[in-house]
Amino acid sequence: MEGSLDPDFSLVSRCLRGDEPAWEELVRLHTRRVYGLCFRFTGSGSEAQDLTQEVFLRVFRTLKTFRSTEGSFATWLARVTRNLLIDNYRRTRQERVTDSIEEQLPMIEEAGGAASVRPDHALAGREASEILQATLLKLSPDLREAVILRDLQEMEYREIAEVLRIPEGTVKSRINRGRAELARHLRKQKLTV
Amino acid sequence: MNCAELEVLICDYVDGTLDAAHKAEVESHLADCALCAELARDASAAVRFMERAAEVEPPPELVTRILFDAPWRKGANPSGAHRWINAIVSPFLQPRFVMGMAMSILSLSLMFNNVRQLRPQDLEPAKVWAGIEDRAVRSWARTVKFYENLKVVYQVQSMLHEWQQQDEELQRPAAKTAPAGQLDSHKLSVPEKSK
Repeated sequence: MEGSLDPDFSLVSRCLRGDEPAWEELVRLHTRRVYGLCFRFTGSGSEAQDLTQEVFLRVFRTLKTFRSTEGSFATWLARVTRNLLIDNYRRTRQERVTDSIEEQLPMIEEAGGAASVRPDHALAGREASEILQATLLKLSPDLREAVILRDLQEMEYREIAEVLRIPEGTVKSRINRGRAELARHLRKQKLTV
Repeated sequence: MNCAELEVLICDYVDGTLDAAHKAEVESHLADCALCAELARDASAAVRFMERAAEVEPPPELVTRILFDAPWRKGANPSGAHRWINAIVSPFLQPRFVMGMAMSILSLSLMFNNVRQLRPQDLEPAKVWAGIEDRAVRSWARTVKFYENLKVVYQVQSMLHEWQQQDEELQRPAAKTAPAGQLDSHKLSVPEKSK
């Protein structure tokens, strides 16, 4: 682990020796990424915050199981996050069945309505982010997580395959289908370019 | 190249990472296949849209919360006695509980005392002693008064009870004989103890 070029490896080694500042740095470096993944997957700021906390707590407890030979720390962290997100998704599925569609519909319609009165290229930044968030939630979890990891977390296909523990070909297939479905939903709202 | 083979390459095509030979192959397939062409078009449209979306920023306090959560000190294995003490004391050290206690004490002090500003001269030993003595005398007097009142109430109650009994006896003069007969018959039915 020591000889690796990845700066995360040395931080992890220091954490395992009980170096508290190293843990602080590791958290500061990766909070944004983990929070982004949680937020894009759940669509809720408060839920994403709770999940991010839970992810780091799990990382803290299982840090000694991380092996540098099995991939980068970022990939391992993404896998921990993804597993927790899927656990959380399964746990809360029943609650969402009743309220998710009804709750999201007005938001999506409102977003679509607002966008339809102006040229599409004017949509950017925060507004595009909100519309994307609402639309991502319409994808199935399999496609959603693949698209998020590739297009919003900018991970390599090989890394995504490691995180999801599926072949690279399946990753690409899911990303294609996810992107296409996303585009269809956006087009329904007259948003796609 | 068939559609299944192309599906794997579309990602790289949309990302723009395909080499020239593969790119030409993909483009020739897309020119002939409407379904794959639509898939490629949709995929690149979605990617373009996602590129416009702002990055998600976590709230600034989140890092602090995560760092506070990390059980650095909690992780250092406490001894058995420490664990016991922690288990007993920790529920009372919760902010919610402490706040509740503080509010209760404040409410009680407002109920039982006239709150006024504390002055330095109030802390003089003589004054403090006089205050305590005054309170003790007042409390004693209050207790005695309470006891006296209780005694009066008891006396009144017993007197009322007595009068009530007398009234009942006067109203039912014949009631005395009947129970006596019943008592005799009852006596007859009781089996005698063997000697």
